[in-house]
Amino acid sequence: MNMVAGIYFDGKTSRLHHIQLSVQGDVLHITETDALLDQVPVRRSSPLAELRVSERTRHAARKITFPDGAYLEVADKEAFDALLSDTGHSDSLVVRMQQSWRGTLAALFATVLVLILGYQYGLPAASRALAFAIPVSAERKLGDGILDFFDKQIFKPSVLPAERQAELSARFKKLKPPRGDSPDYRLLFRKSRIGPNAFALPSGDIVITDEIITLMNDDEAVMGVLAHELGHLHERHITRRIIQSSAIAATATLLFGDVSALIANIPTFLLDLKFSRDAETEADDYALQMLRANGISGEHMAVAFEKLGKLSPELSNYISSHPGREERIMHMRGQR
Amino acid sequence: MDIQDQQGFTGGNQSNTVLALEFKGSGSEYFRIWIVNLLLSIITLGIYSAWAKVRRNRYLYSSTSLAGSSFEYHGNPIAILKGRIVALVLFAAYNLAFKFSLAMGGVMLLVLMALMPWLIWKSLQFKLYNSSFRGIRFGFRGSAKQAYITFLLWPILYACSLGLLAPAWHQRIKQFQHSESRFGGTHFSFDGRVSQFYMAYLWGIGIMIVGTIVICVAFAGTLGATIFAARSENIAVAGTMVSLALFALAIYAWMFSVYPIFLTLLQNLIWNHTKLGNNQVSSHMDWKKMTSIALTNIVGIIFTLGLFIPFAQIRALRYRIESLQIEVTDSLDHFIADSQEQAGATGEGMADLLDFDLSL
Repeated sequence: MNMVAGIYFDGKTSRLHHIQLSVQGDVLHITETDALLDQVPVRRSSPLAELRVSERTRHAARKITFPDGAYLEVADKEAFDALLSDTGHSDSLVVRMQQSWRGTLAALFATVLVLILGYQYGLPAASRALAFAIPVSAERKLGDGILDFFDKQIFKPSVLPAERQAELSARFKKLKPPRGDSPDYRLLFRKSRIGPNAFALPSGDIVITDEIITLMNDDEAVMGVLAHELGHLHERHITRRIIQSSAIAATATLLFGDVSALIANIPTFLLDLKFSRDAETEADDYALQMLRANGISGEHMAVAFEKLGKLSPELSNYISSHPGREERIMHMRGQR
Repeated sequence: MDIQDQQGFTGGNQSNTVLALEFKGSGSEYFRIWIVNLLLSIITLGIYSAWAKVRRNRYLYSSTSLAGSSFEYHGNPIAILKGRIVALVLFAAYNLAFKFSLAMGGVMLLVLMALMPWLIWKSLQFKLYNSSFRGIRFGFRGSAKQAYITFLLWPILYACSLGLLAPAWHQRIKQFQHSESRFGGTHFSFDGRVSQFYMAYLWGIGIMIVGTIVICVAFAGTLGATIFAARSENIAVAGTMVSLALFALAIYAWMFSVYPIFLTLLQNLIWNHTKLGNNQVSSHMDWKKMTSIALTNIVGIIFTLGLFIPFAQIRALRYRIESLQIEVTDSLDHFIADSQEQAGATGEGMADLLDFDLSL
C-alpha cells in the first residue's frame, strides 16, 4: 500500500500535524506520525467522493480538503500524483492545457487570432448591428448641451446673410442621400474661432462655419462637406464609436489592467484613432456617393481637401484622427 | 523550510523566532495559467474571468508559504461573477450618464459615492474571509460606519484640502484595514502614525519634483539650442516637435521610476507597524531592488508586446512577499478559528473593475 507524507490541519486550530495518507478502495485514510505523548494521534477516514483535491501545478502546494474545512497539504507531489491516478482521478481540460507547453502555445495562438479577428471583423459588425438597433432618438439625447457648450466656447453667430444661408440649406435639402432612411438633421451656420471646419453633433445638428464656406468658394464643394457630415449621422458613427471604444477599453483592461492603467490606455487610444480614421473614410465614401447620385463630380471634394490641406501641417497617420490628405484626395478622384 | 533563526531580531525575547514568507510561484508556470485564463475569458466575453480569478489566486496563494505551510484562496467564482456584473452595470451607467447630460452624470456620481464605501467594505470582507492559512480563515470585522467614514467622509475632506490630506487619508485607510483584520480569533493591529505617512509622501513627492526639474532644465536647454541653431522655420518646428516628444517620453519614464520607490516606502511603513496579536510583522523592501524590478518589467512588457506580463507580475510579487517577515513570540500552532457568516462577493467584483489597489 502506497503511503504519502503530508501535513494536516483540522480547520479549528492552526496546529500542524504530520501525517501519512493512503487510499484503500474508495476511502482515504490519514494517520498522524509524530503525535505528542499526551495527545491522541489524528486518525481520519473519508470517502473519496467527499473530498476535494486542488489542481495539479508544478510549484504550488497540492491540497486535499475535507467537507468540514480540514485539509492536508501533500509533501511528496510525485508520489501523490501516482496515488491519485490509481484512484482514476484525471485532470480537467483546463489544467491539462495549463500544464503542457503545447496546450499553452495553442492557447496563445488562439488568443492572438481571436483578438485580431474579433477586432477586424467581429467588433465592427457587432457595433454596427447594435448601433442601428438603437433608435436615433436615443442617440440624439447624447448631444444634450454640446451645442450650447460649443456656442459659448468656439462659435460666434454667423455673419453670412440669411438669404445665402437659406440658399445653401435649400440646395442641400434637394440632394438625394445615397440610400434611404436618412436621419433628420438641422443645418446651423456659425462663425468659428478655430478656423474653417464643419461638425456633425450627436443631437443631429450639422454645423458649418462661415470660414469653410469662404475657403471653398464653390457651392458644390460645400455640398460635399455637408454630405460628409450627414454621412457621420447616417452611419451612426457616434454610437458605434462609443460601443467600439467601450469594448476595446474592457479588453485592454483585461489584458493590461493589472500592470498599469497608463499602458492599458495606449492601445485604447490608438485604436480609437483608427476608428475615427475609418469613420472619416466611410463619411467620405458617403459624400462621394451622394454627390455622384446628384450629378456632382467628386473633383469638387478633392479640391476642397487640397485647400484645407494647405492650412495646416499633417500628423503621422497613426496618431491622427483623420486619414492622410493625399489618400483622401486620391479617393475622391477615384484612384484608390 | 524557511524558519530563520534570527533570534533577538528586536533585541528582545530569546524564544522569539522570525519567520519569513516564501514564494515558490514561477513565471513560466504562471504564464501558462495566465494565457489559458485569457483565452477562455475572451471567448466567453468575460464570463470566465471570475473562474480565471479563482485559478490565479489559488495558484498565487498556494505558492506562498510561511513555516512550511501554504495559504489558500476560497473565493467562489459564481459570487465573483455576480459581483463583476453589478460592478459592470454601475460602471457602464456612470459612463453613459455623463454622455447624456452633466446633470445625469452628477446624479450617478452621487449614487456611486454613496455606494462605494459599502462595496469596498464588502470586498474587504470577501477577500479576507476567503483567505486562509493552516486551515484558519482570515476575517474582517470593521463596521459599515467606519467604512463610510474612511471612504466617504475622508475623500471629501481630502478633496476640500486640495490633496493636502492625502497622507492622513492613506493612514486612515490602512488603520481601518489592518486593525480590523483578523486571523481566526486573533486580531491584527496597526500603529503607523499620520506624521510617518506625511514623511513617506514628502520623500516620494520630493524625489519626483527634483527629477522633473532636472528633466525640464535639460530639455529647455536642448529646445533653446535647437531653435537657435535651426536654419529655417521648418527645421525649428520639426526640432521642437521631436524635443517635445522626447520630453514627454522622459517624464513618462520618470513617473514609472518614482512609483516603485514610493511603493517601497509605503509597504515598509505599513507592515513595520502591523502586528498579529503580539507578533510583529516587518517588511524589508529595498527601493533600488524594487525600482530595478519595476523598470525591467516595463521594458520586458513593451518589447514582448505584453507576453512578459505574467513573468513581471511574479517577479514583483515574489520580491514583495519575500520581503515580509513575522516575529513569532510563541508558535504558529495556537491560533484558533472564529466563525463568521459568508460575505457576498459584490464588493469584490467592484473593487476589481475599478482597480482599487486593496492588495498588501
